[in-house]
Amino acid sequence: MKRFRTTPLWAPWFFMGPFLFVFLTFTTYPLFQSMFLAAHQTFGPEHSAFIGWDNFRFLLSDPRFWKAFKNTLYFVSGSICIQLPLALALAMLLNRPNLKGRALFRLIFFAPSLIGMVFVAMIFRLMFEKRTGLINVLLHSVFPSFNLEFPWLDTYLMPALILASLWMHAGFYMVFFLAALQNVSQEQIEAASIDGAGPWQRFRHIILPAIAPVASFICLLSIIGSFQLFELPYILLNNTGGPQDRALTIVMYLYETGFEIGDLGYASAIGWVLALLLVGLATIQRTLSKKEEQ
Amino acid sequence: MRFFRSLFEKVPPGLAVILFLAIVSGLILSFKKITQLEDMEMWTPARNHLPAYVPFIKGWNKEHPDQQFSISHISSRALERRLLSGFFSGTPVANLTEIHIRTAHHSFAGPLDAIGFVDLTDRLKKEGLLDEINGPSFGPWTNRGRIFVLPHDVHPVLLAYRSDIVEEAGIDVSQIETWEDYFRMMKPLMADKDGDGYPDRYLLNIWDTTGAYIILLMQQAGGRLFDEEGKATMASDINVKTLATIVTWVSGPNRVGMEMISNSASDFSLMLDGVITGFFMPDWLIGNLKQKLPTIAGKLKVMPLPAWEPGGRRTAVSGGSGLGFPKAAPNFETAWELGKSLYFSEEIAIHLFETASIITPIKRFWDNPIYDRPDPFFSGQPIGRMLIDQAPYVPTRTSSPYLELATKHLVNAAGNLKRYANKNNIFTVEELLPEAKPQLKIAQEHVENQMARNIFLETTP
Amino acid sequence: MNSNKQLQMNQRTVAQIWLTVIYFFLILFSVITLIPFVWMFSAALKDNVDFFSSLFLPTGDGFLGIAWDRLTLKHFHKLFTEKGIGQAVLNSVFLASSTSVLATICSAMGGYALSKYKFTGRAFITTMVLSALIIPGPLLLAPGYQLLYNLGLLNSYAGLILPHLAPAFGVFLFRQTMLNSVPNESLESARMDGAGEIRIFFTMVIPIIRPMIGAYLIITFLASWNNFIAPQIVLQSPEKFPLAVAINNLKGVYAEDYGMLMAGTVVSVAPMLILFLLMQKEFIAGLTSGAVKG
Repeated sequence: MKRFRTTPLWAPWFFMGPFLFVFLTFTTYPLFQSMFLAAHQTFGPEHSAFIGWDNFRFLLSDPRFWKAFKNTLYFVSGSICIQLPLALALAMLLNRPNLKGRALFRLIFFAPSLIGMVFVAMIFRLMFEKRTGLINVLLHSVFPSFNLEFPWLDTYLMPALILASLWMHAGFYMVFFLAALQNVSQEQIEAASIDGAGPWQRFRHIILPAIAPVASFICLLSIIGSFQLFELPYILLNNTGGPQDRALTIVMYLYETGFEIGDLGYASAIGWVLALLLVGLATIQRTLSKKEEQ
Repeated sequence: MRFFRSLFEKVPPGLAVILFLAIVSGLILSFKKITQLEDMEMWTPARNHLPAYVPFIKGWNKEHPDQQFSISHISSRALERRLLSGFFSGTPVANLTEIHIRTAHHSFAGPLDAIGFVDLTDRLKKEGLLDEINGPSFGPWTNRGRIFVLPHDVHPVLLAYRSDIVEEAGIDVSQIETWEDYFRMMKPLMADKDGDGYPDRYLLNIWDTTGAYIILLMQQAGGRLFDEEGKATMASDINVKTLATIVTWVSGPNRVGMEMISNSASDFSLMLDGVITGFFMPDWLIGNLKQKLPTIAGKLKVMPLPAWEPGGRRTAVSGGSGLGFPKAAPNFETAWELGKSLYFSEEIAIHLFETASIITPIKRFWDNPIYDRPDPFFSGQPIGRMLIDQAPYVPTRTSSPYLELATKHLVNAAGNLKRYANKNNIFTVEELLPEAKPQLKIAQEHVENQMARNIFLETTP
Repeated sequence: MNSNKQLQMNQRTVAQIWLTVIYFFLILFSVITLIPFVWMFSAALKDNVDFFSSLFLPTGDGFLGIAWDRLTLKHFHKLFTEKGIGQAVLNSVFLASSTSVLATICSAMGGYALSKYKFTGRAFITTMVLSALIIPGPLLLAPGYQLLYNLGLLNSYAGLILPHLAPAFGVFLFRQTMLNSVPNESLESARMDGAGEIRIFFTMVIPIIRPMIGAYLIITFLASWNNFIAPQIVLQSPEKFPLAVAINNLKGVYAEDYGMLMAGTVVSVAPMLILFLLMQKEFIAGLTSGAVKG
């Protein structure tokens, strides 16, 4: 109790002040403003008209939104099912005792995630080209039956996006798994193998439970990130959703309506649907991980 | 003092480096003379216009010491973003700017008084310029009856074909009048001589995903996606028939089309290798080809587009740009004078034809003998005259902020219809018609729903 | 005795084989990861003819079978002399460094207040920050744009820097770190000795959390350097564009000049790779600490 008497009243507010001021202005206020906007139709920031729930009502019947939703979901599931297992596998390979050059491997795998999405897209845009792109040429020379005209940027847009994102993020998530694996006790593993537990059993019963909290956090992180996919397809496809909107994502649709068409209201409505989706997922993750702890 | 020293010692090295960068770059940026140009500005998204414009603007600046202009080339999307952002929220925009059709249409989405370009209608009438320009050219720039942009081009479309291959096969193209003729007479070229089970060549660069070419063909047939009032007319009978026909071209045993949008290296190689023997050829693409694919010279010839019906229209229209004057920029009168003298200069028109193969919309320049010059690129055909002969007949387009959306849904409809054809193994126009109609109806409904939502467009006069 | 030794020998060879297999996979993945980098760097050094005729560096009779004399720096030269990419580099450096320094200070101070002071409203602010963690950034794009418009901050650096100064993630991270690693007792005794609040923060707290500050700085620097959507929306004058936006515009204008595009990408990517090489330990430690401990 004595402690609090010695700290002056202004001190916490002095430290809190700058953050709080900016936070209230540029996060809290826009958040409420976006609720207000979502009930309006606008043409740029200056022309707006109240339309109530119409944005949301229209959203539910908007085929392009559902297309974007489906695409995003495709991408999210693709990245979780491929990226995270690969990241975990790499981490387990690297975590092997008496492995030389661990730091170098880690460095190499992690390097792509330093590059912004914009630049990754710039590189992959040229690599995905039909006849001249590196990916088709390499695949064709390794597997001669592979079609040199393989249309990555057309029919196979989504796999292309998942591939580019895999290159970029596998090492990123690997680093998290690697940190988590440090917490797994080696004695326990050795004890288990002396008891005759095979590699799969050791993985299933010792390693997995030990890294479960981190793994579920990484899962959430990856889902949240993937749901906000924007730059990669936006630049890969020359600022469009691609042929037949094949790579239109939720955030791309938000950007298009808000900043190309000028309807900030509809863009806010799209943003809210995305936000509610993510809040829902986060809640599920929380309850699940709480259950796990009990 | 000691406080600061200890503070300095304890600053993390990373922070020190980044702090240093922040201060240095901040200082440079704040002391760097902001090169605030006194000039008025003109933007253009079209690089191929620059060789004609840059000397012209230099000349203008010499003659008008108090009205200096500078011109900059900005990529189409970036230009649109800056322009619309300027219209929405007053960030700086150019005094005059060339734009592509897409940009104009996007700027037409709001209330009439919020359209960011100066309304040119009355001025064009007063100065008698309306009749000097080829009528159809105004179409994409007119919205709710008002003209907002000065048209730059006509962009008539011809059909280019691989003359070396066609002539070797002994096909006489002068016998071709309709699309039916074209595919029937060219069919021998598709023989599978290399025995891989697929035709060696395809006859036209059309596909269910190339929305621009589907629309081009619909317009040639007399169809439209929107009428003058801006109402969607995608599911009109003529469009239904055109779409069904196109689907028979891109699916089934009688497939003749192949996908090619003709702006990337791999597409050009399809052209050069003769995988596709016939292409839609608007005037601007001729200019592009001459620059990017000079090795195809002498292997191409053009003819008027085959018609849908005997005696029908032998051309179509593709793309386009124009000159707009943002309301927010000062000195409209000066900008207008420059714009007018630029767009109504015969010298510029000729220069654009010579460097970019673009035909001017100013009718009185069409008599210039330059257009009759034989073009070695096309084995001596007078390419300018062939384009101008078709120029008065290009279909008149309408403008709609929803054209892009309509194109997307149109492509979806085409894809669905193609899937339907493949699934049910029917590849004749007659059999596809009953499915084409509802597909286009659905597409139109989607567009109409989106339009009905827009409360700013209700003020149609 | 003998058989036991043999068993050990056997185990050792099995382990050896496993290790070889692991090395094989690690090296394979490293090569796959590195290919795009090598490709990007070599493309930046070739003209368009060589770009299409050779996959990586042009082959010839020079050292290692590479035609060194055909490599060219003309793309870089053109970028800096004609395309004004130097200005974009400067803008990027300024935006990233000022944003990261200010955001780190704001976050560290805010985290300190939330973890080491008791004051009315603390619980409320903490809840607010925690819930802001889940809000997807794109939701705030439209209302943020309108706010900047109303404040007259569009097309200004301030409009780009200010909203990023109060990241909920940063405050959360610093709050966790300080809860764990800054002992209340030493703060107490410093106060007894008559040290001022501000002095305590700068001379005692900051040194303890130094690693965290270093890590967070790089994280925000990187995020800000790679940020695309915000500058794309806020800035309109080309002389203010950071690299991410400038490179995307370069793509619009030089769509077919591949060497130039890759040179621009190299200019944008290389500084981040160098920065990371210099500070990778701090970076990875900081990145994972939030996940693994929190």
